Amino acid sequence: MAVFSLIIINKAGGLVYQREFQPGLRKLSTNDYLVLAGTFHGVHAITRSITPKLPLVATTTNPPIAPTTATTPTPNVTSPSSTSTPTPSSSSSTYTYPNPGIPATGLECLETDKFRLTCFQTLTGTKFLLFTEPTMVNIDVVMKKIYELYADFVMKNPFYQLEMPVRCESFDRNLQGWLRGRT
Amino acid sequence: MVVYSFYIFDRHAECIYKRRWLPRPASMVGSKSSRPTSEASAPGLPATLGQSARTTDDDAKLIFGTVFSLRNMARKLGGEDDNFVTYRTSQYKLHYYETPTNIKFVMLTDLKSPSMRVALQQIYINLYVEYVVKNPLSPAEHPGGIGVNNELFEESLEQFVTRVLS
Repeated sequence: MAVFSLIIINKAGGLVYQREFQPGLRKLSTNDYLVLAGTFHGVHAITRSITPKLPLVATTTNPPIAPTTATTPTPNVTSPSSTSTPTPSSSSSTYTYPNPGIPATGLECLETDKFRLTCFQTLTGTKFLLFTEPTMVNIDVVMKKIYELYADFVMKNPFYQLEMPVRCESFDRNLQGWLRGRT
Repeated sequence: MVVYSFYIFDRHAECIYKRRWLPRPASMVGSKSSRPTSEASAPGLPATLGQSARTTDDDAKLIFGTVFSLRNMARKLGGEDDNFVTYRTSQYKLHYYETPTNIKFVMLTDLKSPSMRVALQQIYINLYVEYVVKNPLSPAEHPGGIGVNNELFEESLEQFVTRVLS
């Protein structure tokens, strides 16, 4: 149940916070962490764009081919209740995502042999990257608490400049204390 | 579980094989008997297929870039012997397996699928090695997918994905 480290990336892909809590991952230079943050920011956007698009069959292509296929409307008429439900969701696009109810996000969880990386993106685009052991459970709870501490000690700090590196002692202290109390 | 697509990249970062599976619409369970009902959508289908064919090349490049970056990131943080296995988003899961000869196998599935590392390994051992590497007519390198796109490999991959994995 080890939390290795935490990285916070601002909405422009810049590294604003990096802290190691327990040994387990290799140490990188500050420059490498900056590169890592930027790379992850880009990869995160790409992983959202390569979401598989499932083509919608028969529901949306009706308007252009309506005059040529006069026979197709008849099966639709027999079941008006069933056809009425898919049309609002697929009014203009010809594809749908695998989970249509949820908006497509970028990478949320990455697993390797040695660690698991959980990424949480806030509504404003800040990304929290948490490196834990691959077997760790309840990462959501840890992530939520970290976000809470961030909101309390970084965002409410009157001297903190937005999008700039986080240098708040109380944030460090509380984070460290909370994580230590957990293990 | 559903498999969306499958890619093989060689050590020159070239996509030597790609395959996409369009999931069956829910109504088409018996594939042959329901074919007449799907006829209505036939005029619309080439348009969507054409659109996807235009972007599969780009998709393959994007996927290679993604797994390459993530693999390097995993190696940097976890050590040289660390391997990137899988990642997931809210919509799909990507599974990754790399052979010692740097051939990369990538598979995109839905979120419900378990770890596909063994499956990808099996595809490598039982299908790729058997039908591509051991094929005397296949070249050592596969620029543009030559040698990988043979009938036996494609057929057995199709069977593996449709029978074993689903």
